[in-house]
Amino acid sequence: MSEKNRRRVVVTGMGLITPVGSDMETFWDSVANGVSGVRLVTSIDTSAFRTKIAGQIEDFDPEKYLEPKEIKRMDRFTQLAIAATSLALQDSNLKIDDGIKEKVGVILGSAVAGIISHEIAAKDLFVRGHRYVNPLTVPLVMFNAGASNICMHFGFTGTSFGISTACASATNAIGEAYQRIKNGYGEIMVAGGSDAPISPVCFSAWNKLRAMSTNNGEPERACKPFSKDRDGLVMAEGSGMLILESLDSAVARSAGIYGEIIGYGSTSDAFHLTYPNKEQEIRAIELTLADAGVNPDDIDYINAHGTATTANDKVETETIKTVFGKRAYSIPISSTKSMIGHSLGASGAIELIASILAMRNGFIPPTINYEIPDPECDLDYVPNVGRRAELSIAMSSSFGFGGTNAVLLVKKWKD
Amino acid sequence: MDRRVVITGIGVVSPIGIGKDAFWNSLERGVSGVRLIEGFDTSPYRTKIAAQIKGFDPSKYLSLQKVYVMDRFSQLAMVATKEAFEDSKFALNDSNKNRIGVIWGSSEGGINTREEQYRKFFSKGPRAIDPMTLPKAMGVAPATNIAIEYGITGLNYSITNTCSSGAVSVGEGYRLIKHGYADVIVAGASEAPITPAMLCGWCKLRALSTRNDIPEQAVRPFSKDRDGPVLGEGAGVVILESLEHAMERDSNIYCEVVGYWSNSDAYHLTFPNARGQAEAMKGALESGNISNEEVDYINAHGTATPINDKGETEAIKNVFGSMAYSIPVSSTKSMIGHLLGAAGTVESIASILAIENQFLPPTINYEAPDPECDLDYVPNKGRRSAVNTVMTNSFGFGGANASIILTRYRRQ
Repeated sequence: MSEKNRRRVVVTGMGLITPVGSDMETFWDSVANGVSGVRLVTSIDTSAFRTKIAGQIEDFDPEKYLEPKEIKRMDRFTQLAIAATSLALQDSNLKIDDGIKEKVGVILGSAVAGIISHEIAAKDLFVRGHRYVNPLTVPLVMFNAGASNICMHFGFTGTSFGISTACASATNAIGEAYQRIKNGYGEIMVAGGSDAPISPVCFSAWNKLRAMSTNNGEPERACKPFSKDRDGLVMAEGSGMLILESLDSAVARSAGIYGEIIGYGSTSDAFHLTYPNKEQEIRAIELTLADAGVNPDDIDYINAHGTATTANDKVETETIKTVFGKRAYSIPISSTKSMIGHSLGASGAIELIASILAMRNGFIPPTINYEIPDPECDLDYVPNVGRRAELSIAMSSSFGFGGTNAVLLVKKWKD
Repeated sequence: MDRRVVITGIGVVSPIGIGKDAFWNSLERGVSGVRLIEGFDTSPYRTKIAAQIKGFDPSKYLSLQKVYVMDRFSQLAMVATKEAFEDSKFALNDSNKNRIGVIWGSSEGGINTREEQYRKFFSKGPRAIDPMTLPKAMGVAPATNIAIEYGITGLNYSITNTCSSGAVSVGEGYRLIKHGYADVIVAGASEAPITPAMLCGWCKLRALSTRNDIPEQAVRPFSKDRDGPVLGEGAGVVILESLEHAMERDSNIYCEVVGYWSNSDAYHLTFPNARGQAEAMKGALESGNISNEEVDYINAHGTATPINDKGETEAIKNVFGSMAYSIPVSSTKSMIGHLLGAAGTVESIASILAIENQFLPPTINYEAPDPECDLDYVPNKGRRSAVNTVMTNSFGFGGANASIILTRYRRQ
């Protein structure tokens, strides 16, 4: 195995379950055509909340991927992660036999993990009494239930753990998996994120933070990244998983290659629990460019964090302008959260997949619901309608609550 | 070019002592921190004991404003980190803050905050919810709070791997420095898991000791009459540093991290697997080029469940062969309790202090020999011994195994 190739990391499979599609074709069709997945919440009673909308996955059927016995042992975030992993493995044509199992590791990002199960247990305990608490509460709720269950379901015995950095979780998970392969600790990594945060108390707490859009009258038009009338994020559930492989491993098995991960950087604001910080966002992007050995001029597309909160979009715009200078105005930037919503710890993986599909299809997805220009957000956000473009290198950024910034660079694969 | 990684500071907040001196004093003397649970009604539960940190007053260490925005698992983290920084005499400044990172382990995250809010929500409704719930409860909260307190702007994330979270945070931190991604990593873990719903869940799993009438003698790792762990709370932090960086500032060096491996059993959610555990230990030895003969002491996972201790014994024999009988193995959980995600870091600190003091902490409450657990568990009394190379094991629910090798620092 050549040293050089062993340290190059490529994406050979992708899978996702999202509010705008639970297979890659439907997902891309929605994202390219500006279709929103935001609706009135149906899974919980929202009558007491300011916000009543979210990106829910209405057609998810865990039985397509899991035995009923397994489903009972898994929180929804774990079920979504297994489904997305199944799809990614299928997509990668990786043959899971005994020889391969010990070569595969898993890193899963999640912001709130088994929160639905924890709430149910607490409600059972506080309202009905301890007899009603599910005996499987501990393994359902534990933060790395997702990664553990992926290992168990598919038989992977490589390294596995969960990473939690709020809204940057999946980007950090993919970045750490990339570094692991790059440094020779593994050949194949399953990496991504999953979150299922639509539960009464979690939703209530987000309401209290006043970070969510209250545009309940027009759910599909609620999430307005970079538009002056933006009024906050829309929470979503979902999972995105990628199969990362050393180039040698991919070539040896003649795998289809989507793209190459060429850079990763992560920093911490050391600033504020919920407010973003320009200085460290800038440094995260600069570290990523340096890791990849490319110039700001080489970036063809940015899939922004773009949450549609007043603060994030303004600070992210300033960040991009500082890093890219005048060129900032000519790089297309879009926030696919305008359609998908903010799937918290899964968002980074779903957005990296969107970026890779954009390169593959030569088409940039739009930022929908962009209506009123904001003088503080004056870049090219690909407003409302997507467009054709040849893309070679894309950047996907995630800036989490608590101030973890994580950035990935992915390069289109040319056979 | 791989770099050598050393530990230059430690901090610990545990049920057997706040601060490394108090902690070591208890370990050396075999003092248990297990007591009847205080703080909520345990009458419905089979287990009524745990290793709580009695008399922990966060406002002694933190401003009231900070106490208010932090879950207990963050508060414990802040106190342990303060000690570790003071211990390492390391000062952050504008020129080094970017090359320092924080990796924080926790299995449960801000579970106290979550349950407190659940209780309010289900009894009083959504209006009663604390607006700070999310930032308090998020898994990355301790790492974030540490970064904000000290102005650390390097990479920052939280690792979650059930009961091996803390070991993985030390191990991953070690690799990040080894490969040049950082010069200093604050690698720690904290857990505050003693809440009504979680205790209820653990009791339903029938995983905990029920020796409620003799709390201090409840946890009996490797003893035939063992009946499970008790939950414990606490935090442990180590300051990992590249050797070069430590030498430049003429720092005290506790020991060197030379090996680490982690893997997954892919076997069962709550049952361990001796094969996977053995692979993790072998991986750690190989990665550090350490031969079996060099290992002077193993700080075991040793939870005191019937199946863990039997499986771990088997795994140790599988790795070390007949040599296994001459390596002292102890479970400090017999005294500290099971700190879940924080166990790996706190037990790393116990191992570091064993090297520092050339003394093996005991496995207390060892009363009835078990033919399936027939190694030298340093029963009941610690002892002086040459301790140069230590292996510390963590095996979590879900089959998350991690093993770390620490050696006494030699200049070479």
